[in-house]
Amino acid sequence: MAVNTIDAKMLSKMFLAGAKNLEVKKEYINELNVFPVPDGDTGTNMTLTIMSAAREVAALGDEPELMQLAKAISSGSLRGARGNSGVILSQLFRGFCKVIGEQQEISVKILSKAVEKAVESAYKAVMKPKEGTILTVAKGISVKAAELSNTEDMDYFLETVITYGEEVLAKTPEMLPVLKQAGVVDSGGQGLIEVLKGALMAFRGQEIDLSFVAESTGKPVVADSQAVDTADIKYGYCTEFIIMLSKTFNIKHEMDFKAFLESIGDSIVVVADDDIVKVHVHTNDPGLAIQRALKYGALSNMKIDNMRLEHQEKLFKEAEKKENTIEETATQKDVGFISVSIGEGLNEILTDLGVDVIIEGGQTMNPSTEDILSAIEKVNAKTVFIFPNNKNIILAANQAQTLVDNKKIIVIPTKNIPQGITAIINYMPDLSDEENEQTMLSEISNVKTGQVTYAVRDTVIDEKTIHENDIMGIGDHGILAVGKEIAETTIEMVEEMIGDDEVELISIYYGQDVKEEDAKALSAQIGKLYSECDVELQFGGQPIYYYVISAE
Amino acid sequence: MSKIAIMTDSNSGITQKQAEEMGISVLPMPFMIDGQTYLEGVSLTHEEFYEKLEAGADISTSQPSPESVMDMWRKLLKDHDEVVHIPMSSGLSGSCQTAIMLSNEEEFEGKVHVVNNQRISVTQRQSVLDAIRLSEEGKTADEIKEILEEDKLNSSIYIMLDTLYYLKKGGRITPAAAALGTLLKLKPVLQIQGEKLDAFAKARTKNQGKSIMLTAMENDIKNRFGGLSEDDEELDVHLQMAYTKDLEAANAFKEEVAAKFPGNEICMDPLSLSVACHIGPGALAVAVTKKLK
Repeated sequence: MAVNTIDAKMLSKMFLAGAKNLEVKKEYINELNVFPVPDGDTGTNMTLTIMSAAREVAALGDEPELMQLAKAISSGSLRGARGNSGVILSQLFRGFCKVIGEQQEISVKILSKAVEKAVESAYKAVMKPKEGTILTVAKGISVKAAELSNTEDMDYFLETVITYGEEVLAKTPEMLPVLKQAGVVDSGGQGLIEVLKGALMAFRGQEIDLSFVAESTGKPVVADSQAVDTADIKYGYCTEFIIMLSKTFNIKHEMDFKAFLESIGDSIVVVADDDIVKVHVHTNDPGLAIQRALKYGALSNMKIDNMRLEHQEKLFKEAEKKENTIEETATQKDVGFISVSIGEGLNEILTDLGVDVIIEGGQTMNPSTEDILSAIEKVNAKTVFIFPNNKNIILAANQAQTLVDNKKIIVIPTKNIPQGITAIINYMPDLSDEENEQTMLSEISNVKTGQVTYAVRDTVIDEKTIHENDIMGIGDHGILAVGKEIAETTIEMVEEMIGDDEVELISIYYGQDVKEEDAKALSAQIGKLYSECDVELQFGGQPIYYYVISAE
Repeated sequence: MSKIAIMTDSNSGITQKQAEEMGISVLPMPFMIDGQTYLEGVSLTHEEFYEKLEAGADISTSQPSPESVMDMWRKLLKDHDEVVHIPMSSGLSGSCQTAIMLSNEEEFEGKVHVVNNQRISVTQRQSVLDAIRLSEEGKTADEIKEILEEDKLNSSIYIMLDTLYYLKKGGRITPAAAALGTLLKLKPVLQIQGEKLDAFAKARTKNQGKSIMLTAMENDIKNRFGGLSEDDEELDVHLQMAYTKDLEAANAFKEEVAAKFPGNEICMDPLSLSVACHIGPGALAVAVTKKLK
């Protein structure tokens, strides 16, 4: 007899299978990014978001209650949410779980209601919903689900709505010209479809290997160290190295090697890639692992840490931190600042301007809602201004804002570092929070910015043909310049950026991959072109972006 | 009616020649430059001063010596009954404190009245003009002091610096300087309001700084000094400006201020050297002072 309802146990399996399938397709989804920048990471963001929930789901064990399960999915994905697609995904789950958490069992009817609620929550989370994105795909699915809500056949229902979702996904390029030009479908929508496909596979009885959840626990998001007593650490040394293969290392060798490592420890990762093998193991005798590995080749990048000592140190530090927090409560300041930033120089500049906590991240690494929450916790102030400095982080910051109730959180939607710098410069202690927010908002719109990086694939955007490894200058509203040389392209970008506008100051922040003398030469050249204008060169130290430039 | 002498120091921007014309006395502020003492407006011109400042000379300011203060009082008291002395803001210098102490000496008690109304530069000049008018209206020295002191918070000055270099070098206005970033080139806007000289805002460009100052002036006029007039009429405030070294830039800014508040006279002076040596050349300042009734 066909199963036409889903119970908690099944839903848990389906969710984990969805997460697994997304993880498998992560790289593919990353490549769907419109801008061929080296850090298109929709897939990574969505995966990290769903993994945060998957861990909580896995921790519930084999016999969860629907209510518990709903809570785990909802809170796990909410806190782990990063990147715009991740935040939207978490909101989809949140809406979905609101409906199913009240049920004993899920029928088609309830499922279609949950999907409707999911879409409603997601649309609410985005200030200006854009069609041709994950939202459109989700909406399509919910429309189809409503149509089919009177069917009994769960399998048919699931398959039909997912197929319809794929049809909508295939149409996204027609709704968003940027997708069409780049010749891709929406990456977030693709991610959603992968999750649902995985879930369907589990519903149909396919067994899933859940080890991926355990592996990703290697870096817990908010592990409370005190939960683990030092004595509980079974294997004391975290051992990592790379084998540079001089002998064959086929799948059989890999299995053998893994089995050996399992006999001496846990937390094992063995990743083979053409001529190297990356190895990670927690063991009490690192020597054994090393000796065995030497059979296959020479070793490099070796790192062995005593986790018991580290753990004790961590406990000390946490105790200290707690003391500090208590002291700090007495001297809560009125206003604090959090900024997302990456690069030694930029971090220093922001700190110098009064930023209390820097969240390391940016394009390449979108911090999660959880990361932003923990930064907020560190700032002992009544009002905290947050500068996300990236359009893909603004939503996560807004989400964090809704989760904090003991401090006033103001998110200034800065889309890049120069906007963040402008925002904090314009802060005036004498004004009210609202007045400051207004000033910052109006000032950031007066800064023109451009960022220079390289292309990771061939594409066409803004009617510009781009080849892999080309240098691109990206402005506030699209690609401004494409070329082969960094300096030349940068100058072209600056000219496009400024146009005929009157500009007083051009600030250049050069990245970690640019030599100081090259940056100085470029700055001098720009100074000559704009002789009436001040040009200020600063070391930014940011990765991936050779230059970040602003004009005001 | 008693005969009253009005006196101030060279921070008021009033030159010795103007003083003579106005019938008042100006005590020159002493400077130490590379170990040598100069007197503002007497043995040191503004041009010479900036030349030395930008050449990196070691410049320090000091209060007028008690001797010079008392000598001037004694001289004035020879043919006047009372002296009203309006020194630079007690928030910026100890001169006022010293003068108050000296005025309590038996010799001057009841005769010399030191006004502690926290003015500097163009606003200090305005106080001198007000004192002259009040004395002409028949007010006693004590009354003049009281009126001016009651009015002390009805004025604010905004100064945009071209560079933080001199502020840091002087190490004198530390709390203000500490709050300002030092890695990026910023144009800090400082405010002198009552006792305090403090960081008011920061800007990245001169135009941003100017617009901050204009907005701040407008706010003060609207919210503190009785509102903006509806039809370009003369405001109930004095608009004043000051600058260090760059007269051309100051004149350009003056036009912007005049355009923003049309129909008002704007008085502009070079900023006094005891302020200039801490903020360096290229600074622009605006002030709003409520008219004394």
